[in-house]
Amino acid sequence: MSDERLVRLTVNGEPRTLAVKPATTLVSLLRDQLDLTGTKRACGTGDCGACTVQIDGQAAASCLTLAVDVDGSEITTVEGLAQGGELHPLQKAFVKHGALQCGYCTGGALMSAKALIDGTPDPSRDEIAEALSGNLCRCGTYPRMVQAVEHWRDFAGAPLDTEPHDAAERDQSRDHRTVGRGVPRYDGPDKVTGRARYTADLRLPGTLVGRILGSPVAHGVVRRVDASRARAVPGVLAVLTGADVPATRYGVSPAREDEQILATDRVRYVGDEIAAVAAVDDETARRALALIDVEIDELPAVFDAEAAMAPGAPLVHPEHPRYAGNVNTRVDWSFGDVDAGFAAADLVREQRFVGNRTYQSPIEPHAALAQWEPHAGRLTVWSSTQTPHYLHRSLSRTLGVPMGQIRVIRPPVGGGFGAKAEATPLEFCAALLARATGRPVRMEYSREEMFRHFRGRHKQYIDLKIGVKRDGTITAVDQRVVLDGGAYTSFGVITAYYAGSMLPVLYKMPAYRYEGRRIYTNLPASGAFRGHGVPQPRFAFESLLDMIAEDLGLDPIDVRLRNAMTPDTRTVNALDVSSCEFTATLARAREASGWDAKRGRLGAGRGIGVGCGGFVSGAGYPIYRSSFPHSNALIRVHEDGTGVSLHILASDIGQGSDTVLVQMAAEELGVPYDWVWMAECDTVLAPLDLGSYSSRVTLMGGHAVQDAARRVKGQLFEVAAGELGCAPADLEARNARIYDRARPDVAMDWAAAARLAFGKNGPVVGLGSYTPPADLGGGFKGSTVGTSPAYSFSTVIAEVTVDLETGFVQVDRVTDFSDAGTVINPVTFHGQVEGSIVMGLGETLLEDTVAGPGGQFVNPNLHDYLIPTIRDTPEIRSVAVESYEPRGPFGAKEIGEGSLVPVLGAIANAVYDACGVRVTELPITPEKILAGLARRRDRGVPPAAASVEPESETHAQTV
Amino acid sequence: MEFRYHRPATVADACALGQRLGAGAAFLAGGTELVPDYQRGRETAGDLIALAGIPGLRGIESGGDTLRIGSLTTVADVARSPLVARWLPALAEAARALGSPAIRNRATVGGNFCRAVSCADLPPAALVAGARLRIATPGGARDVAAAEFFVGARRTVLGPGELLTDLLLPAPPAGRGTRFERFSLRRGMALAVASVAARLDVERGVIAGAAIALGAVAPTPMLVPEAAELLRGGRPSAALFERAAEVCAAASLPIGDVRGSAGHRRRVVRVLVRRALERAAARATTEGPVS
Repeated sequence: MSDERLVRLTVNGEPRTLAVKPATTLVSLLRDQLDLTGTKRACGTGDCGACTVQIDGQAAASCLTLAVDVDGSEITTVEGLAQGGELHPLQKAFVKHGALQCGYCTGGALMSAKALIDGTPDPSRDEIAEALSGNLCRCGTYPRMVQAVEHWRDFAGAPLDTEPHDAAERDQSRDHRTVGRGVPRYDGPDKVTGRARYTADLRLPGTLVGRILGSPVAHGVVRRVDASRARAVPGVLAVLTGADVPATRYGVSPAREDEQILATDRVRYVGDEIAAVAAVDDETARRALALIDVEIDELPAVFDAEAAMAPGAPLVHPEHPRYAGNVNTRVDWSFGDVDAGFAAADLVREQRFVGNRTYQSPIEPHAALAQWEPHAGRLTVWSSTQTPHYLHRSLSRTLGVPMGQIRVIRPPVGGGFGAKAEATPLEFCAALLARATGRPVRMEYSREEMFRHFRGRHKQYIDLKIGVKRDGTITAVDQRVVLDGGAYTSFGVITAYYAGSMLPVLYKMPAYRYEGRRIYTNLPASGAFRGHGVPQPRFAFESLLDMIAEDLGLDPIDVRLRNAMTPDTRTVNALDVSSCEFTATLARAREASGWDAKRGRLGAGRGIGVGCGGFVSGAGYPIYRSSFPHSNALIRVHEDGTGVSLHILASDIGQGSDTVLVQMAAEELGVPYDWVWMAECDTVLAPLDLGSYSSRVTLMGGHAVQDAARRVKGQLFEVAAGELGCAPADLEARNARIYDRARPDVAMDWAAAARLAFGKNGPVVGLGSYTPPADLGGGFKGSTVGTSPAYSFSTVIAEVTVDLETGFVQVDRVTDFSDAGTVINPVTFHGQVEGSIVMGLGETLLEDTVAGPGGQFVNPNLHDYLIPTIRDTPEIRSVAVESYEPRGPFGAKEIGEGSLVPVLGAIANAVYDACGVRVTELPITPEKILAGLARRRDRGVPPAAASVEPESETHAQTV
Repeated sequence: MEFRYHRPATVADACALGQRLGAGAAFLAGGTELVPDYQRGRETAGDLIALAGIPGLRGIESGGDTLRIGSLTTVADVARSPLVARWLPALAEAARALGSPAIRNRATVGGNFCRAVSCADLPPAALVAGARLRIATPGGARDVAAAEFFVGARRTVLGPGELLTDLLLPAPPAGRGTRFERFSLRRGMALAVASVAARLDVERGVIAGAAIALGAVAPTPMLVPEAAELLRGGRPSAALFERAAEVCAAASLPIGDVRGSAGHRRRVVRVLVRRALERAAARATTEGPVS
């Protein structure tokens, strides 16, 4: 049915006549026929807004619009916003206000905003929120989007420079520093113009489309896979099954490599990969998948971690005796005298908490593109990965090709949050299909496939016991956690350790016992999600601490202050905390939020709550045993001395790490921010860095960059000293000048020194590296997880309104005080905090993947799995409590993950303050609140004592 | 997603084409439900009859005792129409609650009715207003009451070749107040978990006429005549409204799904009905006649 029709459209002012198939959506036409890839396809069902364009001036979802149906219309895409090379003021406002992070939603959001200001040039905040209510941003840049649209007119006629928007920072003398200033994101201009090419936007001649067939059942033995009918489909160039691919097992944890590229004998969850197809287009590939005949003997399956531990439960990995009882990972820790600690307590409280299986839901679907050079047998893979190095290594080991023959390139990534921290079947299959066909192969997950592949948060069952003295001093803590791991290990071993290791970082405790069990089930594998294993135990701890405070008649903040971690302290589980301003975050958040006046006094249905958190600034040890530096950087000075390139394999996935690394390079070198070019993240161009996970880039990548910059500077000082008649040690570099510290007028241009150095010694290149301190951790089993050069600390105070009749919770206001060491960039810093608050709100109140009776998620899309919108976003006040971390570059620590950790407990505690209902099972839904209120009424108990055990009303599948 | 695409220029041609192609054809208006239904495999029509080329199906105009809303009128048009705001505020509120601007700019009144999903936002308001739907057929036009339009989940009275052309609203009498209330799990762009439209006609302090319609809590949008009966002849009061709300909650037929259990939906219906009645009463008594 390929009866093509001619349609006439005006696209970004240019008349076009195009032949389209009836089923071609406008987004496909724009991307595939016109190469306007600034319009993103991220859900395909009108739920996310990333594909928003203007049709005859009106905002519209181009994924829901058939191209034939808008014949004669005028279409404007994000590429059409800039006029005559001049960015639209809205675009400049987005860059300057920091209203973008990963950038994948940005084009759509800009088009919604443009449609608004076309009709309403001076919109109110409410009008802005309504206009953008359909544009999902998982990075949570909503507060900044509102500001940017509100002030768009300020940017008319103004050039887009790299000066901070904040007047106070702008007015600082440039002499001060580059570090610490809110310079606009390095990648901002590319992302607001649609010029940034993400993996799915790359076009190579002759590229095929690949797709994967997943198992229709949750557990079974694969008897037969017959692809002959699929292979016969015209336009299908290759079909691979388990028999056609390397049998190598792969996985994140070296000791538990339990995944296969394509199943050979057994499938373990709905979606487990069985076959892969490469075809000339997506439609043909999909048709071929449907023609692959698969025979599977279905086996009993288990979908609940506790059920999976019961004797006689179906075994997910029966071939391995080590996984008896479906136990994937076992942790048994005991520090101090736990029994004595509880015996010494005046009060011991114990409570069960249950977490939710949330999904990262980055707006960009995972994508990979692979191409072989046949003459050389070399492979290039472009991937939306957070960890190019681990992907590089996995490809090498799995395909049996030396790393030197593989090139991994990471284009801009549209958000990851942990979902893209490991190699996926997409990269393996793209590489294998490309080899089989001799053509480039591009693969993307659909939104549903993203949910199926998962690697989201482990659902945790937490039994927590805390003993305290009458004054609130903690005497002992006992935590038992069962983690639902799904069918494979992924990051889960590490998750199981993190779930235990971070509790003693925040509060002092003389004795601590932790028992962790990660359990296999026939669900998609859970992995590493922002905060990695820590948010749910922290939610439990912060909730129980409030319950204890109430029992003792103490203020929750006072209890926290009494036990708060202090600087230069070794925790009971042998983690070394150096800088720590936790107490200051508590005290200042208390004051700024008006806590003392508000708590318990906000009236029925309104409440305030506190939650805190502490987190690692980069894992102290790598994922696989190795002795090389974790971060390495190369800085090359351009030969005329007026520019610098920074090469590092660290991955900006939206968090802004490129920007802060460029700032640190500029700072150490003594040159302006806009002298520094960030080289593409490419294993051919940049030395190894372990990538973006465990909140490591600012600290570890920053150190490597600083080290490289020092070495460059040393070479310049050498020649400059000769020129200026002083010793290299006397010199200083700042503002593109090199001068004698004691006699600042004895100086020369930085560029002149660079030219001299080049003339004398050849190219000026500096190599830097960073290895964490060697002696981190206690030496017991698993003691490496949780070690870090430094720890961040924060306090969140949330205010909520609960509709006491429907149970709906609205988060009104959030105050965040965070100690992340020295802030390198206030805009990206606050952006991370705001994004964590928005995401944490979703995890606390909205999000959970729900498995149906057959183990298939019933809500694998963005209209059933609801993430927060701009209209759900509270008023946020984020303040940095600066410390100087001696182990961090320029004194810096992390902010990206730690800022999520306190949010869940703060909201849960605020809900309790508002309505007296203590919900111990996430998410805190309206339904659970109403159940708690009803229980309270039935018992006639005062509001303070109501507690809700999870109510188990069955959720039937959506019709 | 594969289909043949037809683009008739008149209503008569569209009807004739629909009749000829039979049950394997579907009309395409804004596409905001139909296109994702294709993606999810829920829609399989092999022929799409696009309505975009037919003039005259989009627009809102009042003609004496009737407000005519063409079936290709977008939800955004309804949301910002001063006429709708005067004739049936509940409908304007429902239109404003639907989706996001990018959806409302494409989604049509006709699509919202004809896709016949139980959580559609516009039908409850039309039901309480006693609206009629004008249907073009190969043999001419016929009108049906909005309340009789839906026959089951995703099913309407429309047969092959029958095209909804207009939503017809009767003029509101003096003393009428209407209100739309909706509960969803987040504030921005979310489907209704339960919705309610209420109408009260108050004469000299007495409820002379009333209607309550529920959305998302039964296979189709539904009127609750027992509640209307209970209200009629009474004086607006919290107690009366609470009783009507109880009747509605009992009459609802919700399912449990990932958005909430049946029990929670019932509890919410009760709250929404009471709130809708309170607001409708306020409008009927203090905000004066509306047309």
